[in-house]
Amino acid sequence: MSQLSVRRQVSAQTNQALGLREQRIQQRNFAPYLFLLPGAVLFVLFILWPMLYSLRISFFQWNIVKPETSVNVGVQNYLDALTDPIFQRSVVNTVIYGLITVPGQIIFGTFVALLLNARFPGRTLFRTLYYLPVITSWVIVTLLFQYLFNGQAGMVNSVLQSLGLIREPIRWLADARLVMIPLTLLGIWKGVGWTAVIVLAGLQAIPESLYEAAAVDGANLRQCFLQITLPLLRPTLVFLLVVLTIGAMNVYISGLLINRSGNLLNEAHFVLTWMDKQTFENFNFGQGAAISYLLTAIVFIVSFVQIRFLQRDVMYS
Amino acid sequence: MNRKLFFLFTSFILLTLIATVFNAPVRAAESVTITYWHTYSDPETAQLARLIDMFQKDNPNIKIEPTKYAYDDYKKAILTSIAGGQAPDVMRMDIVWVPQFAKQGALLQLDTAMPDFKKIADAVFPGPLATNYWDGKYWGLPQNTNTQVLLWNQKLFDAAGIKEPPETVAEFVDDACKLTSGTKQYGYALGGTYFWAPAPLFYSMGGKVTDDKVTTSTGYVNGKESVAAFQNMLDLYKKGCISPNLLGGGIGTAQGHATGLYAMIIDGPWMVDIYKTDYPDFKVRFAPIPVGMGTNNSSVVGGENVVVSATTQHQPEALTWVKYLMSEKAQLFMAQVGAIPVLSSLTGSKDLPAYFEVFMNQLKTAQARVAHPSWSAMDDAINAAFTKMLKGEKTAQEALDEAAKTIDGLLAKK
Repeated sequence: MSQLSVRRQVSAQTNQALGLREQRIQQRNFAPYLFLLPGAVLFVLFILWPMLYSLRISFFQWNIVKPETSVNVGVQNYLDALTDPIFQRSVVNTVIYGLITVPGQIIFGTFVALLLNARFPGRTLFRTLYYLPVITSWVIVTLLFQYLFNGQAGMVNSVLQSLGLIREPIRWLADARLVMIPLTLLGIWKGVGWTAVIVLAGLQAIPESLYEAAAVDGANLRQCFLQITLPLLRPTLVFLLVVLTIGAMNVYISGLLINRSGNLLNEAHFVLTWMDKQTFENFNFGQGAAISYLLTAIVFIVSFVQIRFLQRDVMYS
Repeated sequence: MNRKLFFLFTSFILLTLIATVFNAPVRAAESVTITYWHTYSDPETAQLARLIDMFQKDNPNIKIEPTKYAYDDYKKAILTSIAGGQAPDVMRMDIVWVPQFAKQGALLQLDTAMPDFKKIADAVFPGPLATNYWDGKYWGLPQNTNTQVLLWNQKLFDAAGIKEPPETVAEFVDDACKLTSGTKQYGYALGGTYFWAPAPLFYSMGGKVTDDKVTTSTGYVNGKESVAAFQNMLDLYKKGCISPNLLGGGIGTAQGHATGLYAMIIDGPWMVDIYKTDYPDFKVRFAPIPVGMGTNNSSVVGGENVVVSATTQHQPEALTWVKYLMSEKAQLFMAQVGAIPVLSSLTGSKDLPAYFEVFMNQLKTAQARVAHPSWSAMDDAINAAFTKMLKGEKTAQEALDEAAKTIDGLLAKK
């Protein structure tokens, strides 16, 4: 019997016990709305209203001291941003970051989840260790990676040189293209644990009976993975694809710290770090707001396309 | 059931409201609180606290509430506070930010608000004072100033057989390469490619960013002297006598100098305190910036100005605090922790630490950077030029021509 039908039965019994008037008060239940009210108020005050105010700012050349003196420039801020080569480069950098870190996290995360799904001593310890990077502070791990990839005294160069793979130290953080390597590695390393946990949950929802039936039919490991595991993981993987892409488009702190020295000449910006510089360095508040809305549009379109074309329900009864 | 819940919920809200109302802070009717934001280092902050005590004893109805910020967060914190209508009354800010904030209307015009502004302005060094001048008005006063001088590692000089630090740019170039040995030791290292790093030698060799009236950059930043100054550093870099750290992601100048990796660096008076804490065994030696072209133009002016918020509710008290910071007493007091005073009368004073002398002498010839709201973008343009020539993507002349075009564009925008 479904939950809904049980509730209907109880409700009907209660109605019979009470009188008609008490029935009406019972049915008009205010409590849920009162409990929702504080959350709704916070949402409107701290999320919805600032978002709408920011949209307003994007159509002005905004003055922060006397907002009433701001000049309405229509869509000029959006046009300026779209024709700005630095913004264009920042979009390219962000897309590249996404194209590397999203598949990276999904592939490594799935691999790790498959390993952690098996039963072996110390499994809990490994699950904790793999999740630890997820809860570290972005600032601290970015500084750590800057330290590791230091062009003169970094450990990465030291290891590569002692292995004979390079002769001269590589100046990772001095080149706008090379710097993507430590940044994407950092992004993947930081997200694998979270991805693995999600995939693990998806793996555990696959009934054991399917694998047993496949074993009876003589399927090997690869066939099990391709015919059972992957198709049934599809909803999980699509979810990860969408969420990780949104996260990748929003890459911020690691890029911010890397760009702080000013050596990379605005060529290694991500959309959000460029927005930060336009707003807080150049005092170009209107354009900063426009950039944030352009990013919103990009993320929305990408997510929509992903869900529309990839989501498919798979059920084996 | 839901009636009970409703009453519980409402009484909870009411209790919270009552508790908040009764716990609201009660402000004393008499005293005025002035908020003062700064980015002083830890020893400087401790000294500031003592200075505030002295001020409050002399001014019992004014209370100063200081807040320390890390330099990297400071600009954002100020902007956020302005946007929220909670701007601090008085701020100590980087000299190059003053025109930018003045343009936004965030600062109080001091030469009209302060009754004895002219008297104070006449008493300070002209270079630092000029950093407060924008659009025909003065928007602040210099609070402390600094400049950069040459730091030379005596041990490395002795080992190379060089007795004295270089006095001219020609000697400097010579010494830099004599003190270089592969990647184990570099004669000279810059902190980065942002303008502050090459500025001392750039100005020393007669380089200029714009004309004196700040109307054009073509013919100045890409003029003969400026190109020669950058070409000089470029040649040293190509010969391997300058460390590659300046392009980013390398070993910092402070650390490298103290550990014997960089024989010479150019830096400011704060190095004394930094080395005292991090490398107490290292003996830091200062020398004037090598002379390039002419003797009246060497090194670059840095420092902080003190400004008052345009939206302050306590203008007279804020100005009293500003005036106190500019007094000889306060300037000498903060000098004890390394803040170089801006009062020209104090040059050579016996009450100042000994190492101040080389800096205050340098200040006689130090050049101010361009006081313009778009300075940050101009800095980026010169930074880009320097980086491109170091990477071999452009010649020094080509790179600086491009910078001149960008800076002219920024000067034209009003």
